[in-house]
Amino acid sequence: MTEAGHGRYLFAVARGVGEQGVAGVTGIRGAPLDVVPHRDLEAVVCEVDLAEFGEVALTRNLEDLAWLEEVARAHNEVVFAAASRGTVAPMRLVTIYADDQSVRARIEELYDDLTAALDRVEGRREWSVKVFTQPDAEPGAEEAARAEVGSGPGAGAAYLRRKRDQATRRQASREQAVELAGQVHRALGDQSVASRRLAPQDPRLTGRTETMVLNAAYLVPVEQGDDFRAAAEQLDARHHELSVEVEGPWPPYSFATLE
Amino acid sequence: MTELRTTTEASAEPPSSPQISLVDLLDRLLGTGVVLAGDVLISLAGVDLVQVRLHALITSVRSDMPAPGPRQDQ
Repeated sequence: MTEAGHGRYLFAVARGVGEQGVAGVTGIRGAPLDVVPHRDLEAVVCEVDLAEFGEVALTRNLEDLAWLEEVARAHNEVVFAAASRGTVAPMRLVTIYADDQSVRARIEELYDDLTAALDRVEGRREWSVKVFTQPDAEPGAEEAARAEVGSGPGAGAAYLRRKRDQATRRQASREQAVELAGQVHRALGDQSVASRRLAPQDPRLTGRTETMVLNAAYLVPVEQGDDFRAAAEQLDARHHELSVEVEGPWPPYSFATLE
Repeated sequence: MTELRTTTEASAEPPSSPQISLVDLLDRLLGTGVVLAGDVLISLAGVDLVQVRLHALITSVRSDMPAPGPRQDQ
C-alpha cells in the first residue's frame, strides 16, 4: 500500500443536499467539500492526503486522541450540515476511495440498499438516552457500621457480616436498576419508530461515578422531537433512583445502516 | 485537555456547531456508521476498533484525568 498521493474521504451518502447544502462547511483539514451526484443520490466527499490517512499513518494516528477527536468533529460537522438540508446515511469514520469514480461505482452497486436506508431515516432524527444509577444512597454506611460494632469481642465477625449485607444490597439495587432501565427503554421505544441499544460506556470515558445501565439511540420523526424529549424527562422525574439523560436531535447515525 | 463530557443543548434543527461529547460521537462513528467497503482504499472496517477505543481513549483519559472516584465493589 503506497502512502503517497491523495484519496477521497466519504462523509455520507445523501439525498437532497446539493452543493449549496454544505456551503460554508469544510471537510478534513479545511479541504473544500464536493457533492458528487450519482442518479438521485449524492456522495459528500473531500480530498485527503494519504501521508496522513494511509494505512501506516492511520494506525499511528488512531492512537492519538487529539487527532481522533479532530477528525471525528470535522466528520460530524459535515454530517450535521448535510442532515439539516437533506437526508443522510453517515459513513463510518475514515472511509477513503481512490477517486470519485470508485465512489460512484460503489453507490451504484449498493443503490437499492442505500435508497432503503435513506427512506428509513428521511424526516427523522436520532435521540440519545442514557440511564445512570444514582450514587450510593448511604455514603457513610461503612463508617457507621464500623462505629456501631465497636471493638469488643465478635466485632470482626459483625463487621464482615455488615459488609456482606451491604454487598448484597448493592447487588440487588444494581439488578433493580437494570430492570428499570429496560422499562425506560421499552417506554421510549413506544415513542420512536426504531431503537437500538449501544454498549454502556466505560466510566473512565464518561468521567461519571454512577453506573451507566442504558445507552440507547431512538429514531424519532422531526416534528415529534419535543414530545420525545418530554417523555424522557418525565421518566427521569418518575424514577428517583435513576438519572435519565436525553440528548438530540442528531443525524441518524445509528439507523442509516445497510441491511 | 480534551473534554469528553461536553453535552449539547439542542434546538429543533441541528445547529451548525453541534457539541456531541466525543465518547458519544465515537460510539456512532466507530460503531454504527455505514460501512461501504467495496474497492475502498482505506477504511476502519479491518482495524480492530476495540483496540482503537481502549488504547487511544482510555490511555489518554487516564493520563489526563483523575480516576472517577474510589471503587467500592472489590
